Amino acid sequence: MTTSPLGHGAGLDLARMRRDRGRKLVDAMLANGLDALVLLGQNNVGYATGARAPVADAARAGAQRTVAIITADDTRLLTSFPDGVPPELSDEQVLEPLALESDVGARALVDVLPSGRLGFDELTMPLWAALDGREALDAAVVLSAAKIVKTPDEIECIRRAQSINEEAMLDVEAMLAPGVPATALTGRFLRRVFELGATSNTVEPIFQVMPRRITDGPYSATGDVVFPTVTKHEAVADGDVIWVDTGIDYHGYKSDFGRTWVVGGQVDQRQRDQFRRWRAVVDRVLEIVKPGATAADLTRAAGEVDGRRPWLPHLYLAHGTGTDSAEMPLIGTDLGPDFDESIVLAPGMVAVLEPVIWEDGHAGYRSEEIVAVTDDGYTMLSNHHYRPYA
Amino acid sequence: MPEASDRGAGNLRRNEPRPERPGPKGREREREHLDRVLEAMGERDVDLLLLGREGNARYVSGARRLWLGGTRAFAPGCAVVRETGAVHVLSVTDDGIPSDIPPERLYPISWNPMNLLHPVVGAPGVAGARRVGVDGITPLFEQLLTGMLPSAELVDGESLVRSVRRKKSVADVEAIRAAAAVADDAMVATIDALRPGVREIDLMGVFDERMTGHGVTTPAYDAVVSVAEEGAVGAWSTDRVIDDGDLVTISAGVLAHGWEASLARTWPYGEIGSADRASLQTWSEAWSELVDGCRVGARVGQLRSDGIDLHGVGASYEVLPDDDVLEPDMVVALELRRAGVLGGDTLLVTERGCEPLTHAPRAAVA
Repeated sequence: MTTSPLGHGAGLDLARMRRDRGRKLVDAMLANGLDALVLLGQNNVGYATGARAPVADAARAGAQRTVAIITADDTRLLTSFPDGVPPELSDEQVLEPLALESDVGARALVDVLPSGRLGFDELTMPLWAALDGREALDAAVVLSAAKIVKTPDEIECIRRAQSINEEAMLDVEAMLAPGVPATALTGRFLRRVFELGATSNTVEPIFQVMPRRITDGPYSATGDVVFPTVTKHEAVADGDVIWVDTGIDYHGYKSDFGRTWVVGGQVDQRQRDQFRRWRAVVDRVLEIVKPGATAADLTRAAGEVDGRRPWLPHLYLAHGTGTDSAEMPLIGTDLGPDFDESIVLAPGMVAVLEPVIWEDGHAGYRSEEIVAVTDDGYTMLSNHHYRPYA
Repeated sequence: MPEASDRGAGNLRRNEPRPERPGPKGREREREHLDRVLEAMGERDVDLLLLGREGNARYVSGARRLWLGGTRAFAPGCAVVRETGAVHVLSVTDDGIPSDIPPERLYPISWNPMNLLHPVVGAPGVAGARRVGVDGITPLFEQLLTGMLPSAELVDGESLVRSVRRKKSVADVEAIRAAAAVADDAMVATIDALRPGVREIDLMGVFDERMTGHGVTTPAYDAVVSVAEEGAVGAWSTDRVIDDGDLVTISAGVLAHGWEASLARTWPYGEIGSADRASLQTWSEAWSELVDGCRVGARVGQLRSDGIDLHGVGASYEVLPDDDVLEPDMVVALELRRAGVLGGDTLLVTERGCEPLTHAPRAAVA
């Protein structure tokens, strides 16, 4: 038996985490010449204030959204969820929510905004109109500058999220068999993550039966492997290769679990070989993960396997995870080589490696590993077996 | 205690029709949506509509893309061009995309926002766009859009789509009924799972697992299971163990093939005291009065008060402003919390009053 993920790992201090994040955010705000941040995105409000709001479909989450107004010396939080207000916020700092899809609500928000240069993450159209020519500067740079380097508490949250995710998968793996609908795997997963103490589930779990060759699958705009697609309400069959991708939330931090499974558990030599080549890519990349390495160094280390870069061209070799499931550092995206050269790893950065080995005609192998950059290398945040491949 | 009917996955075969690829009926429904949206674009003089909100995109295109929880900053995930009447969808594949949207109207995901916008701005009929409707904005996309379409003015596309979505077609109501049946069954399973030692978070998982038995993998929101404490109902489920004599409130909903339905119930576990029985009675009377008031012509703001949540339902949660007035063919979700009891249903507004679309049983009032 594995121990409960809630029981392990000493020293997660959520109050300290919120304090440290607040400081990082204000430093980044001032460094970017902004006087205030006006945040409407739920992950950003959570990051800036520690406020919790229920996780819901985007439309509901947007209608019930919390809002944060951050200046160098004050935080204001608009919320309809008093249970989710962190204890350090005083009554004066917590305001009634406003209906930002209406002109009246939007104008009321504009009335309480501080003077100076304002950075926004996103705006509703009534809010955009209510600004009436006042400039809405971009808060995205500030947010990603603050978020890209995690504190030990943030990293602990990611580790715990991942641990819950991995433990839940043990149950899901146990029920994988010919005839089981792929959506039943989703059901077991959702049930188990909540039992294990996940704060929420934040992305539809993916259990995708892979075609043997790309042209056997759905239309592909890139000509490459199509992934991910929505989990089908169809029974899996013996020998099916299934790519798994899930992410849950623990105190605002997202796990990212990726594995390849074979229904029935019979793996042939060719498939084992795919796994070995995938592992070799991971090992080559991990060998150079340390402070000072660039994202371009990582993509070069991943190299080419059978004449192709070993990851999906519309995605990445690696990405960060934190309060967003795919955040900076983005490594190997279509932002291009210059962008990759500009990303320099530093202690506290988190990278989810997700190389892909594809052998057209014989499907392929994809799994994910999460590492946090340390002072002299990295530490693993993921810890799960590779059955039935190894 | 009601017995949950067994309508789970059953004998699935590979060649059954895929719910993600809507059949002809679904396509008629979405074509009607598109016609309605194009008509509204004409009325409001909008040349190009860029939709970042998944519910809006799904409504107009029928696309079933991967679901993500929580708010998403605006990005052009779907485009409607007035001149050509065409819908363009952000997707690397046609999986989950209705078959009458051809591959040339799909544009792939990109981390580079310029690459994302290029195919949209370059689509036939977009070049001369003067008024561009967006359902939200970010500073970056404002800058890029005004740069790439210099003669265009940005206008509110959210209110445009909201006005179109407000009244449901017969086919829309059918889809919401199907979602309601899934939500009902998952609610009954959750109530059935009330037993000694079970925690609030265990029950939320029961709801989700039963939901997926119907092929539905997306809840409308994280189910809230909460033991009422001194008349207050919690905002989320905790690891509290349910005890004999607790009143347990459950609020949950599903997004079934893109259509939402939600409901809330309060069930006692074991023997409850006379105070709790009185609470159930109080709630029941208040609920009857509330539903009775949900009539054609009622102002939304007047129906709302402390403990009452009222909003629209369709291809996801829909905002209903206070000054809106109920009309036939609207579908609403109504929730009442009173005296530590929570209950709610998805309701169809008709000329003869509200018809409940969710039907899971309520605890009997003594």
